[in-house]
Amino acid sequence: MTILEEKIIRNRKHTNDVVISLSDISKKYIITHEKPTLVEDVSRILRFQKKEEYWALQNVNLKIYKGEKVGFYGPNGVGKTTLLKIIAGISAPTLGRVSTKGRIISLIDLEAGFHPDLTGQENIFLNGLIIGMSKDEIERKFKKIVSFAGIGDFITAPLYTYSSGMKLRLGFSVAIHGQPDILLLDEIMGMGDEDFQKKSQVKIKEIIGSEATILMVSHQIDYLQKYSNRLIGLKNL
Amino acid sequence: MKKIIKLSKKQRYWLDFVSAMTQKEIKARYKRATFGFLWLVLNPLLQMLVMGFVFQFFVPVRVDNYFLFLFAGLLPWNFFAQSLTKTTPAFFYERNLIKKAKFPREGIILSIIFSNLFHFLIALILLMIALIGDKLLIESYTFMQLINYALRMLWVFPAILLLLLFTIGLSLITSSLNVKFRDINFIVSLAVMLWFYATPVIYALNLLPEFIQPLFYLNPMTTVVEMFHYALMGLPMTMMNFVWVAIVLIIAIFYFGIKIFNKESKNFDDWL
Repeated sequence: MTILEEKIIRNRKHTNDVVISLSDISKKYIITHEKPTLVEDVSRILRFQKKEEYWALQNVNLKIYKGEKVGFYGPNGVGKTTLLKIIAGISAPTLGRVSTKGRIISLIDLEAGFHPDLTGQENIFLNGLIIGMSKDEIERKFKKIVSFAGIGDFITAPLYTYSSGMKLRLGFSVAIHGQPDILLLDEIMGMGDEDFQKKSQVKIKEIIGSEATILMVSHQIDYLQKYSNRLIGLKNL
Repeated sequence: MKKIIKLSKKQRYWLDFVSAMTQKEIKARYKRATFGFLWLVLNPLLQMLVMGFVFQFFVPVRVDNYFLFLFAGLLPWNFFAQSLTKTTPAFFYERNLIKKAKFPREGIILSIIFSNLFHFLIALILLMIALIGDKLLIESYTFMQLINYALRMLWVFPAILLLLLFTIGLSLITSSLNVKFRDINFIVSLAVMLWFYATPVIYALNLLPEFIQPLFYLNPMTTVVEMFHYALMGLPMTMMNFVWVAIVLIIAIFYFGIKIFNKESKNFDDWL
């Protein structure tokens, strides 16, 4: 059983719109000791062994309303990231039902969709589409994205010429301009130089202060307490 | 651009996404190569010359116009083989992306296939222009002969359609299964190598004993390659009444490809 311990920190006003609803979510992983191969599978069947299973989440029920800022904490391996992945639609639950409303963007590894041989401009379009923005929307916000990232003339240069800070800024800028209805933050990170860190923190706070629904995962409870109105601790029984 | 068909927001996004991924594939491939797009024609051309040399002079195959015969078969075969070997491990290579964002997973596979298709079509069009030019200038066909010749070339369209469906279907199967069973990738690269010899690219089917010929039609690529040979060179298909076997097989594989992909893609994250 996965237990959710709830703590309401402050009653921020939110509507009665349910934007995320998890009913009886369970997630099973199958443990493989090396990479899964046909040989391993066949030999297991021949020896009448059952698959080794691991339940990362069991019977989770959760409703999140529009505009809520929810912080998740709990020990490593309790299923926080799995929970976020299921909400984001990256992973499917083994049992149970998920329903979400609106665009979900997660601020984890921002450079995953970049291609080193394409220009900054081409990468903005590619990455924007990957996180779910439409083409028109990217065209509309293109100037803003470039200026927030602060990469100037490099926008027409291929990405392999960028410094790692520039790539980070570009990735963050695209994600942040995606205007998510639901934003997922997995371990809030410090990125880029001091200047950009300030800028990105300001932007994140701006979003936290906005209408958007935000789910945060962190080990730093004081950070979560500062920004969320609902704290949820995950525990396995 | 005028939109002829009204698309829903979701369909529009899907199309934009797949086309952006395809453009990425096309651009990224030749971006830092000096000869750029020239490789696209140079590649099959050199392959044809090497193979043509071997099979014309060392182990002669009795087919008229052997070099052209080779080229007409190599183009669709290369499209198929390159697509399949590149798509099979693709989900595994893109694991960073798959674990981080939600997007239509099939875009990874389709972008590879469509970028290969783009290259294939350019090479094919160049070949067709060369063929028509030859008939017009060197063999000085009459107008009616030329029309007949061009009409026969229209057979490339059903051939391309079958080739495309087969490649997409099979790629979806191998790439989806390769996420869980990494052996698939090794099996596919070996199979493609052997498969080449089971397809009449370097030889013509009618050179083989008659009792064995029907067996070759269990391989849909036989029908596809023969359709190209017919469209481009006018060589009749060896066993016309076996075409339906390939059509049924291709549609079945396409159907199962989508089925397997839909079932497996939900849980890619668990296995990557």
